[in-house]
Formats: sequence, structure tokens, C-alpha cells
Amino acid sequence: MYKIKNKLIILLSILTALVSSCKDLDELNINPNGVDPKNADLNLLLPTIITGIGQNVINLGFGDLAGVMQHTQYDGWSSSHNDFDWDNRGHNWRGYYDILRNDDEYHKKAIEGGYNFHKGVALILKAYTFGYIADLWGDAPYTQALKAEDGTEYFKPVYDPQKDIYHGILADLDTANMLLSNNSYKNINKVQDVLYHGDAGKWRKFANSLALRYYMRLSVKEPQFAEAGIKKITNNPDIYPVITEADDDANVSYIGTSPSDSWPSNTVFDTSPTGNYIRTKMCKTLVDTLQNYNDPRLGVWANKVTIPLVLAPGTGVDEIINGKRYVSQDIIDEYNAKYDSVGVDFDPEYVGIPAQIFSAQFYNLTPYLEQAVFNPHVSQLNDIYKETAGPLLLMRLMSAAEVNFILSEAALYGWAPGSPEEHYNNGIRQSMIAWGVGDQYDDYIKGAPYNGLESIILQKWIASWTAAAESWFDYRRTGLPALKTGESAKVPAFPLRFYYNNDNEIALNTENANAAIEKLERTEYAGSDGNNSAWSKTWLLQGTGLPY
Amino acid sequence: MNNNYPKYLTKHLPFVAILVLSLLINPLAFAQNPHIVTGTVTSAEDNTTLPGVSVAIKGTSIGTITDVNGKYSIKVPDNTSIIHFSFIGFDTQELMVGDKTTIDIKLKPTMENIDEVVVTALGIKRQEKSLGYSVENVKSEELSRVAHENILNSLSGKVSGVVINSTGGPGSSVSMVIRGATSLSTDNQPLFVVDGVPIASTVNNVGGFGNDNRVDYGNAISDIDPESIESITILKGPSAAALYGTRAGNGVVLITTKKAKEGDNMKITVSTNTVFDMPSEFINVQNKFANGYFSYRPENVGGGILPEIKMNEQAGAGPECDKGYWAVQWNSPLDANGVPIPIPIESHPNNIKNFLNDYAITSTNTVALASSKGVVNYRANYTNMIYKGLIPNTDLNKNNFSLTASSKLWDKLTISTDINFGLTGADNRPATNRGANPLEWAYKTPTNVDIRDLRDYGSGSNVLKLAEGFENPYFLAYEVNNSFDRYRIYGNITALWEITKNISFKARYLLNKSDEVRETKMAPGYSKEPNNGTYGIGTSKGYERNWDFLATYKKDWSNFNLNVSVGGNLLFQSGSSISNSAKPGTGLTVPNLYTIQNINSSNLNYYNSRYEKAINSVYGLINFGWKDIVYIDLTARNDWSSTLPAENRSYFYPSASLSFLLSNVLNMGSANMIKLRGGWAQVGNDTGPYRLVPVYGNAGQWGDATRLYKQSGLLSPNLLPEQATSVEYGIDVNTFFNRLRFSGTYYTVDNRNQILGVQLAASTGFSGVQINAGLLKSDGWEITLGGTPVKTDDWTWDLNLNFTKNKTIIKELAEGVDFIEFWDNARVKSIGYVKDDTHDGLVGNLYSREIRRVDDENSPYYGYPLLGSGLETKWQSAEDYSKVGNYNPDFILGLQSALTFKNLTLNLTFDWRSGGQYVSQTYRYISEAVLSQSLLDNLVNPGDLGGTPSDELKQWVLDHSDELLFSNDPKAIGGPTPDYGGFPESFSGYTVNDGFFAPGVVGHYDDDGNFILEHENLGQPGTSFLPYVLSYPWDIGRANLFDADYIKLREISLSYHVPSKIAQRIKMHNLDVSLYSRNIMLWTKDSGFGVDPERAFQAESNGRFSQGVERFNVNPWVIPIGFKVQFTF
Repeated sequence: MYKIKNKLIILLSILTALVSSCKDLDELNINPNGVDPKNADLNLLLPTIITGIGQNVINLGFGDLAGVMQHTQYDGWSSSHNDFDWDNRGHNWRGYYDILRNDDEYHKKAIEGGYNFHKGVALILKAYTFGYIADLWGDAPYTQALKAEDGTEYFKPVYDPQKDIYHGILADLDTANMLLSNNSYKNINKVQDVLYHGDAGKWRKFANSLALRYYMRLSVKEPQFAEAGIKKITNNPDIYPVITEADDDANVSYIGTSPSDSWPSNTVFDTSPTGNYIRTKMCKTLVDTLQNYNDPRLGVWANKVTIPLVLAPGTGVDEIINGKRYVSQDIIDEYNAKYDSVGVDFDPEYVGIPAQIFSAQFYNLTPYLEQAVFNPHVSQLNDIYKETAGPLLLMRLMSAAEVNFILSEAALYGWAPGSPEEHYNNGIRQSMIAWGVGDQYDDYIKGAPYNGLESIILQKWIASWTAAAESWFDYRRTGLPALKTGESAKVPAFPLRFYYNNDNEIALNTENANAAIEKLERTEYAGSDGNNSAWSKTWLLQGTGLPY
Repeated sequence: MNNNYPKYLTKHLPFVAILVLSLLINPLAFAQNPHIVTGTVTSAEDNTTLPGVSVAIKGTSIGTITDVNGKYSIKVPDNTSIIHFSFIGFDTQELMVGDKTTIDIKLKPTMENIDEVVVTALGIKRQEKSLGYSVENVKSEELSRVAHENILNSLSGKVSGVVINSTGGPGSSVSMVIRGATSLSTDNQPLFVVDGVPIASTVNNVGGFGNDNRVDYGNAISDIDPESIESITILKGPSAAALYGTRAGNGVVLITTKKAKEGDNMKITVSTNTVFDMPSEFINVQNKFANGYFSYRPENVGGGILPEIKMNEQAGAGPECDKGYWAVQWNSPLDANGVPIPIPIESHPNNIKNFLNDYAITSTNTVALASSKGVVNYRANYTNMIYKGLIPNTDLNKNNFSLTASSKLWDKLTISTDINFGLTGADNRPATNRGANPLEWAYKTPTNVDIRDLRDYGSGSNVLKLAEGFENPYFLAYEVNNSFDRYRIYGNITALWEITKNISFKARYLLNKSDEVRETKMAPGYSKEPNNGTYGIGTSKGYERNWDFLATYKKDWSNFNLNVSVGGNLLFQSGSSISNSAKPGTGLTVPNLYTIQNINSSNLNYYNSRYEKAINSVYGLINFGWKDIVYIDLTARNDWSSTLPAENRSYFYPSASLSFLLSNVLNMGSANMIKLRGGWAQVGNDTGPYRLVPVYGNAGQWGDATRLYKQSGLLSPNLLPEQATSVEYGIDVNTFFNRLRFSGTYYTVDNRNQILGVQLAASTGFSGVQINAGLLKSDGWEITLGGTPVKTDDWTWDLNLNFTKNKTIIKELAEGVDFIEFWDNARVKSIGYVKDDTHDGLVGNLYSREIRRVDDENSPYYGYPLLGSGLETKWQSAEDYSKVGNYNPDFILGLQSALTFKNLTLNLTFDWRSGGQYVSQTYRYISEAVLSQSLLDNLVNPGDLGGTPSDELKQWVLDHSDELLFSNDPKAIGGPTPDYGGFPESFSGYTVNDGFFAPGVVGHYDDDGNFILEHENLGQPGTSFLPYVLSYPWDIGRANLFDADYIKLREISLSYHVPSKIAQRIKMHNLDVSLYSRNIMLWTKDSGFGVDPERAFQAESNGRFSQGVERFNVNPWVIPIGFKVQFTF
């Protein structure tokens, strides 16, 4: 009996343990590690979208496109930056569609919650990002994009014509303007809105300014459409307010606490002797232009050379006296012959590296011959660009200066009220205010008077410092400013677009990508590329004869 | 003994005859009286007497051993006592005493394979002959003869159907893949089951804190103490493993630990095992050219003093060493005016050797205590392992304690337990990959630098470096400390209730729990952590428990027997991790203070995560045997997994197998066995937790703003279970009294509904989607052939050969998905395309962009390399990818030889891997730095035509066009000095004879696609010569591709079993000594660079692992020398 009782107890306790060990299988699979989308406040997505866009603006405008537009030159590992040595491996648009995925989610939640402010913001950010995609690549998935969740039929989205994307953007911006024209909104979180801190009025100006940008983008290809759009906006400033003061610039600040939220050339986290800051030198094209106008912004952007060069009479002279290096012509000739270096710049203050030279790393008699190292005879960027964050280290999504230059151009065509000169002047003023030298505007403008389209685009080009993408787009549309390619350029003409990426689109959405490639128009500079070349024209440039 | 199997009788006929005879002579009913029994124990094979045989009365503490003449004398309490004879190498025997006073007994040598009992799924012991599927068994002698830190390494070359790879020395991850990688989304590791306890082992245990400080912490299975393992059974296919369900898709490795042998007196076994690893071969870096971009010679610069060798020119293309050249160098002394003085340029070919310790040492010591006297049967085991690595200041320590015990509480209830407790840890694991890896920087130290000059590396902001951009390898070894401690406890408690002779019930509780802490302390001095070094600490916990029960009914009739079991299992897993560290590059507030509060709060990287998962299961099995001729197994299992959606959560999978003993039909006698077998099985599989519904991720704060994001991987809420269906056929032959053994298996596996992530075009909004689709077909052969060609009184020679061949083909993926990319490394990608007209569908294919060529068929230059221009007047890569190889072997052949002469045994294990390729990132980076000898070796020297461009040279190039123009291997013509045929070039400002040219043409296409030549680059005047420093083709993946074929001597050991006579004289049961070595590379097909092809796999932290990729897994090849002494008393 005793034994049997024990056995029963053991058996019973085992069974009890088994039953109590049964888990609720549904509850177990609820993820405890992330936010449930159903319960998440949409405001939490917003800074992800805005900072993502901002980082793209900087990656382009302070990166390869600053090289193309001859704001800066690298003196090491420079072929992408200086020489547009691009191919279908680089320039993946994945980052742009990542932003759009979040924006799309934000938009859906805004619709769900009936939040007009958020709907408007979502449309602006969508327009901004798709605008870049259309500008940089041309045709791209638009109407069928971002829909993989809806089924496998959207796994290979068709490409929409570039034209349709631009028109779609403009329609969205119009809607955004309406959505943002009320006075009261629900669920605004000022802290989460890292662009305008919940100010619907500023967002509204941003929307309309962006619309101006895209109408002007179509100025050559679809002049009537552009004209109508710009007139609609500029003739109804009450309905379509735009950014005209630098205070309203669409800027996002860096935080500066870690590499991912810091200015990309900072030397706090990147201490490499060939790091981004050291490698990035001023380009002669920009430096000379700014010096020509005695532009105070030069001192904000660049450092003076550490040791200026002085031409010494005689032969065999090469010595440093009082911080200046005195060199005789024979030494210079010998150096230049030896290193295939071009010319010498005796400017006592600012020296830029000429655009696209083979000998960038040897330029101006540098004693340090390695790639991407300090050069005492060439201007580095201003010390502020060593910082991780600062009042001038901003992601500049859109500026009052740009808007004023657009208005100036529009006025020139008779598409906008006011005089081109007035808008031109204001564009310069706003840019100078934005860079902290507004007090020198009066002196400056005397030396840089309005002189037609060339002057507008030239000033726009200067004002686009660290946001040079917009300049590239202007150049394609107008052929201005009249930059020249240097000898190391991959081909002797400026590129017109980015390649469709092989690993992403071509491999994964082959048929649609190939159809889009088919529609590109190859130019004489496409060289050994096929249609998918940086020197092929998208719809926007086809038939315009511009820039070449 | 109570065994009705006729086969058993035939095999044990002599013994049974004796037994029956003795029973007849001594009827049981005889009086009970204690008395003395004496007798002699001899070998049944050759009638020699056996000394040292253990003779014990079962169930008592009475016992003795036979003397030198094999004689024993033992007191028996009564005539129902059972005497138990046991001796190593012989089958144990038991018999009832009756009233006999003399019992002479013949022990039969243990015969392997024939009638071998193996452990199968759920720990059920089965006779191997009754199995309809292939299992492979490795015994403890095989596993512990040569010490391996990780038990998996000791299986290399011994088991068919298994591929084992490891990244480096002790403590590194080891990958084991059975029957080929069939899962496209996991690391394909099998399930390990230790005494019933499932232990998942992954190869993604890679971590480390700080920028590019990647540390391989090894896999969980290395926590198991090889010394405590009795046997390993490998259940290779779904047929064998079906009952393990879900996790058995990649096979199951059943590990049984040692137990006390029934009837044994208390025994203590001590073993001590020490291995010295002597480095024997290193990565083949060149020792000819000093640091620099240009190979100046005195005649180039007009004098014996060459331009300063600058250390910031990170390339090995400087002046030639040991030629009597002088130059200012990094360590030049200064003259009175502080000007550096030129010193001779000399090579230091032993830099790596000097950097490393002279040897690594692994010392393993074990004490085991076993006893089976009385009611409790136990064994306790303690093992300590200490490892000091080749890289200075690296180590690994392990302590394992295990206890197994069983006790018959009542006559029918047995309680048993196996408990293991282990602590594995290290003060410093070296970083791997690129970054803080000391070996990387030791190899990158230029040959004109004596590495020992870097030994006193200083501290703080003054760490001695050759230049900015270099790391000091000694600093990395001593001041980047990646420590970890992992506690693991696993074990079971089992109750077995044998209710009647036919019915039994078993219930078990199984636990596996681990607790790990990892910490990285980095002093200032590593350039990627410029802000006072860094610190990080992380803990992770894992827990799994299983309840299972099994009720069994078995019944033997005269002609057939039946065994029916039903059971169930409740699995529950949970885990959590917490990590705190400084964001990469942001560092510490105060140097050398390693606390979390010393990290500025805005720089803190912090996270934690948890997971839980449960599977409930029921299963059943039926074994049916008829006349020892036919055995049929049927199994079925149903799982309910928490990871699948409720409607798909339940999944059922059956299996069936058949074993047919042809030899028993043909009556071939006991000496021969021919078995035909076949099986069909399905295994269902669930997925990881939380893979149905997405959550937002956190991208980190932006100041005060919180940044959530929608994840880029698209999940499917309606996942189905995965399903693998396998068919296998086999034949086993065992003949000439076990002298010739053959086993062959052919299998196919269809994997359906795999849950895998495939890439999507970014414009879909997602980077990929987790789908539930596809069909993968694998098939393969496993053959083992064993023989005993020599067997005499003194000599025995055993040979075993095993052969493995497997291939896996992707037949389908999801709709609209044509391929899946596994990895992208060193300009080579591994992509699996669906099989179609243009793709063979093989898993493991490698693709790369070949040299770009003129594709205008009308051009006279059609097929010529189309070079770039300027400094890029060399090979460019084509736009399209072409297949360049496959990382899987064609076949693997293992050979084991055991030669015994009296008490001396020589064991050899060889391992031959044939076919397959791998990609070496090490080669790529070392070559880009112009440090690899292979780069020099691959240069083409045009002989007398070298040194000057000429039309004759062009003709010579054209005459060798197959090799120089049309081969896919880029061939640079010329080299660093005139001896290499170097051409003059003047990129440095001097004219230096270190030029090469890439043969090909420069040009472009016009709008109609016609090739327009700009210039030929064939060696004629006008050819573009570039300095040798630019000769490595960075964008051509093929340059980094190597053949993976090799032959290794896995193990060689010479052991001596001290004769019992002598052992007894020093009061010991057994004494064995052995001398061994292991893992000696005998041959590699593509050995020029010196990477071990076996290391061509990368453990990744993302849960996958990249097979066929090698990234600075460059521990030198070693020749280990090990000693082992084991004694029992």
C-alpha cells in the first residue's frame, strides 16, 4: 500500500507539473521588444523621416554633388567626388524609399486619426523625397511603390514616367497647402517635429516653396505648366505663402553626440589623418568666385591657408619666413614637372584646388605628398566643420534664398510679380543672413549686382553651399553656372543623373528597370556605358538641348 | 539475457551453450548456501587467459579481479547470486551461480556493428540492425583520444555526411552541417541532445563592443566536456530524427554521457592531457619590399640614399630590402641637428613568428569517480581546461562538473539524473575580422620594421604606432580585452516505472540554462576609439525546459515482436539580454575606468530584449519485428507551436522505415549480415518567435525627439510550418566476422514552405519579405567502408573509409522571386537562383563580375580587356555577374586507420575535401596593401622583352593571348624591379623601373555600339605603365577566389595500454599513455596564400553564417604535440 501511494503521488505530481507547464501559445508570441504599431503615436515616426531626408540632403550636397558642382574637391580617393566616376554599383535609392516607407506609414496613421496637420506634413515629405528620386534617377516606381504589404503583385512595381512623378508631387503639395491652412490641429507634438516644432504656418510655406522649386524644375520642358503653377502661387500669396525670410528656412540641427547624429566631417569621432574633414578641400572654382565678389561667406566656410606661398626672385629659394613660404620659380617648375602638378596659387588667404586635376594631392607645392592629408598651401574647410554640431551645421532642406532666386527667375520670365533684381537682392540677403553675415549685405550687393539669369543662377549656386544638389539640377536645366570640367573628369561633360543601381533595381525588378532604361536617351558622353549612364537624359532633359 | 531474438542466440551461441549447460547441470531449486566460487577467465577468441577481469556479485559490493593467470576466487552469498564478468574490449557476461564452485568462462571480444545497440531518437536504445535508416555512432575512445576543446572538432573525418568548419583556434565557432545546408535562412546547425536535453548551438555568437572590435565567443556546444562523453550518435536524416520534430530538420546529434557500469566497484579515473600548438605556417606576406608606393633604386634617384620610407604610405611596394640600400626610416636615429639619419633597409621575415607566443598550450585534466555498488549507481566527473593562445594575452578556461546517478527506489521504479554544470570563460578573446584584430596588424606591419620594436607600446595618447592609420598589434593584444564568462547548467531527472514486464512509463524533466556576461575594456590607443578607448558590458540568459513522458508497451512472441510507445513533450524557451556600451567612437569620460557611468549618458548605447516560445507535442511510434528478418518502424508526431498563427499552429508529420535482413533469409550464418533498408519521413518546422506581426524599431533619440521606424523587413502573418520530406535507401553489409563492413545510403530531401527572407527591390518600400515558399531538393550519398585486413594474435589493423557527397538545388522560390542572395563579400556574391534553362539552381554558387571586355563582335579587339583610363588603365569589372564557383565540396572522404600491435596502437584520421571554392577577404586587403607574396608570384615577366615598350613585346603578348588577354585571371606584366621586367614610370617624380601594364585596350562605344579604339595597351610604345603598387585588381572578385581542396591529417596518435600485470603492480586497473597530434594540413590545392580553406566561413551576428568566406581567420597553421595519460584505480 505504502509503495503504491508513493507511486501515485509521484505520478500525480508529474501530471500536475505537466498541466501547469502548458503555456498560452497566443500570448507567448506577442513581441515584447518593440512598439505595437496599432498603439504607437504617429508623432514618434516624424523625426525619423525628417532626419532621414536631412541626411540625404547633406550626403548629396556636401558629398559627391558638391564635388560635381565644384564647391569642394577631395585630394584622395576622389574619383567619385571630383571626377564623377560613378557606375551602376553606387547610388542606391534604398535610403530614399526607406524614408518613404516611414512617411507612408505616418500618412496612413494621419488619415486614420483624421489629423490634417500630419496629413499635410506627410504629403510634403513624400513630395520632397519622391522629388529627389525623380531628379536623380528619372522614371521610378511611384504609384505602385511602397505597396509590398498589399500583395505579391506589388513586389515588382512598374516605373512611372518622371513627368507623372513631378505632377504628382505638385498635386500633393497643393493638397498639403490646403490641409495646413487651418488654425487648429489635433495631436501636434512640438518636440517630435524637429523641423518646424509643430508650426503649421511654416510647414505650409515649405509646401508652397517646394512647389515653386518643382514648377521651376519644369520651366524648360513644360513652360506653360510651370508658368501657370508659379503664377498660381505668386499671385495669391495669401493662399500660397512661401518662405521668404531666412527665419523660416527648412533647417534641421545636428545633435552631435554620436557619429550618426553629427556633422559628417567632424573630427571628434573621425580622427583619422585622412578623415573626411582633412580630405575635403575647397575647390578653386568656388573660392575664386567668392574672392571675386569679396564674399564674406568665404570666411565662414573656409579656413585661410596655413602657409601662403610667395614667389621669390632668383633661383633655388625655398624657405619659410614669418609664416610664409618663399619659393623661386625654378623650384616651382621642378616640383610641377615632377608631380605633374598644375600651376601655383600665391593667394595669401584662400586657395582652392582646381576642379578635376590628376594631381590634387600634390597641389600647390605641398610638402606632404600622400593622399588626403593636411596641405598647408590649400584651404581646408572652416574649423566649424570639425565640430559635431553647431548653429551653422544644418541640414538645409530649403532656404529663403533659394525661394527668392526662384522668384527672381520667375519674374525674369514674367511668371511672377516684382522685379527680378528685387528678388535677386533678397535672395543674396537671405543667404547672407542664414550664414551669419547679413550685416555685410549692403557692401556686398554693390559688387554683385543683378545681371540676368546668369547672375541669379550663380548666386543660387553660391548659396547652395552644403546643399549643392539643387545647383546640379539648375545646371542641368539652364547650363548655368558655366562650369568647366577638368582633365581628370571621367568624361569631359557633367553627368546628368545617377545610374539605376544594379544590385537593387536591375537585379530585383529587372523588367521594369529595363523598360525605364530603354526610355533614357544616351548622349555622346555615355562612352562605354549602355543607356543606363550618368550621361543619358531623362525625360526632363530630352529635347531641351540642355545642358548640352 | 531474457532475450528471444534468435539472432542474439546465434551470435552468442558459445556463451549461451555454456549458460544452458550450466543451468542444466545446476538446477535452480538447489539449496541456498554461501560458498566460494573459483575459475579461470579466458578469451573466447584465442583461449588466452585474461588478467584484470572484473568479477562481481550483482547487487552487492562483493567483487574482485582475475589475477595474472586469469584466475579468480569469489565468495557468493547464495546460489541465486549472479556473477558479473566485465572487461574492456569484451562483452560482459552474467550468470547465476547455482551451487557451482568452479566457473570457467570465456569472454567474447566485443564485436562492433554486428548487433550493435545504438541510441536513437528520444534516447531509445535499439539494435542497429533493426533500423531502417542510417545512424552513425562515435565512441568515447574516438572522441577523447586526441584532445579537442570543442567536441565537434573531434568528429572531423570520422562521420560521413557531415561537414565541419571552424574559424580558428580553441574557443572559436565551429560549424557542423549534416547532409548539406538545406535551410536558406538559418545557420543549418543540427540539434544537439545531451542525455535527452536539447541544446541549441548556433554559430552566430559574435559580438564585442567598440568600433570594429568583433569577437567570436564560440558556440554553446563547446560547453560540453568531451571527457564525459560516452558516445555520440548522429541522426542524419529526417527518418532518424522525425521524433524530435521541429528542430530536427538539420539532423540531430545525440550525446550520451558516461555512466557507471553496472556491477563496477568504485573506480577513479584520472586523465591528463596537454597539447602544445607550434605555429608552422603563416599567411604568405612578402618580405622583399619595404613600405612605400614606389620601388626606388639608387640609379633612379642618383645616389645610394633612397627617399625617406614614409609610414603613412600604407603599401608594400617600397624599395627592395637587403640590397644594401639606405633610407631614412621610421626609427632612424637623429643627428646632432635633429635630422634623421638614413639606415639600411632590411627585411624582417620572422615578424609574425616573433609577435606570436612560441606555442599555444591546452591542458585538460579530468577526475572521474564511478560506482555501481548497492542501490545507487553514480558517476561524478570534473574537468578543467586551460588554454593559452598563440596571440599574446589570449586565453580560455573551462570547468565542468557532471554527476550522473540512478537508483532503483523500488523494484520497478528507477529514478535517474544527469546534471552538468559548466563555466567557460576567458580574460581575453582576440578580436577577429578587420579592426582590432591583433593578427591583422601584425601581418600589416611592413617587413622593413622589426615588429619587436613595437613591443613597448606605451600608453594613453602616446601609444607607439608606425604612423597614424596603423594600429600597434601588441597594444591590441594587451589593451583590448574582451572577456566573457558563461555558466551553463543542464540536465535531466528521469523516472522510469516498469509497471509490468511489458508496460513501462517514463517521465522526464529536462533543463538547459545559461547565463553569460561579456565585457570589453579598451584602453586609449586604438584609432577607431579615439575618445579614451571604450567600454561595454552585456549579459544574456537562455532557458529551456522540457517535460516529456513516454508510455511503452512491448511484447515478444516467438516470431515477432512489437513495441508501441506514445508520448508527449512540453517545450518552453525563454531568453533575455541586456547591453550597455559607449556608441562606437564616442568613448569614455575618463580613460581606463571601465564603468557604465563613465560613459557620457548621451553616448550610451543601451538595449534589452526578451523572447519566449513554446511547443506542445504528442507523438507515437510502433516498431514491429518479424523473425529477425523484417523490422518496420512507424512514427507520428504533432506539434503546436507558439510561433505560428493559430490556424496553422498545429502540424502533423509521420515517418515509416523498413529494415530487411537479407542474410537471415539466405541463411548466410552468423558471420555475415546483409541488410537492406529504406525510409520515408517528414519533419515539420516552425519559426522563431515574433515573426508574424511587425513592431516599430527604435532608431535612437534625435536630441529630445524619439525616432521610431517601421521595419524594412516585411513579415507574413499567415506563415505555414516548414516541411521537409525525405526518402532514404541503404544497404549494410558486414561479413567475414566483422572483417569487412560496408554501409551505403542514398537520400533525397525535399524542403517545402521554407520560411525565408528574400530581397525586394527598394521601391516596394521594403528591403525584403519573409515568405513561406519554395522547394529545395537535396540528394546525396554516404558510404562507409570498413575492414580489418590484418588480425593476428599481436597485430590488428582496422581501416575505415567514409565518403560524403551532397548537392542542393533550388527548384522554386516564391512567385516573382528568382533568386536569394546569401552574402556579398570581396566582390563575390553567393546567390541561389531557381533552377531553369540558364541556372543550375545549386545552393552555394558564387558569382562575380569578370574582367570587362570589348563586346562588339565586329571589332578586331572583340574579347580584349576594356581598360579604364589614367590611373585606372587596368582591368575594370564587367556589368554582369557570372558564375565563378561554388563553395560546397564535390565530396569529402575521411579515412581512419588503427594499427594495434599488442598494447600499442597507432591511430590515424585523414580528411580529404575535394572541390569547392572560397573567397578570401584577407587576400583582398593584404593584396591591396601590396603585401601578399602571391601578388609578386602572379606577375608576368616578359623576360628580355621586359623593361621597355616595343612592338616585339606587343607581339609576345599577342602570342600569349590565351593567358594574358583572354584568361579571366588578370595578369599584370612587369613588376617592382627590373628583375621582374619592371617598366619605367614616373608617378613619384622620379623615373622608377617598377611599372607594369594591364594588357588590353582603351576605348569607348559610339551610339551604335561600335567599339572605338583610343589606344592599344599591349606593350607597344604608347602603352600606359602604372607603378606596381596599383597592380592589384580591386574590383575583380575572381582575384580573391581560391580552391578549397585540402587533405588534413586530423589526428595521429600513438597510445600504449600498459599491460594489466604491470598496472596492477602499481595498484591500477588501467593505465594508458598516448602521444598525439591533430589538424595537420598535408596538402591544399591552392596553398599559395596560406589560408586554411576550412576557415572559410564567417560566423555572423545576424543569425546566418556565410559559408565560403574568409575574413582574417588567419591564426597560423600549427603542428600540435599532445600527451595524454589516463589511469583508473
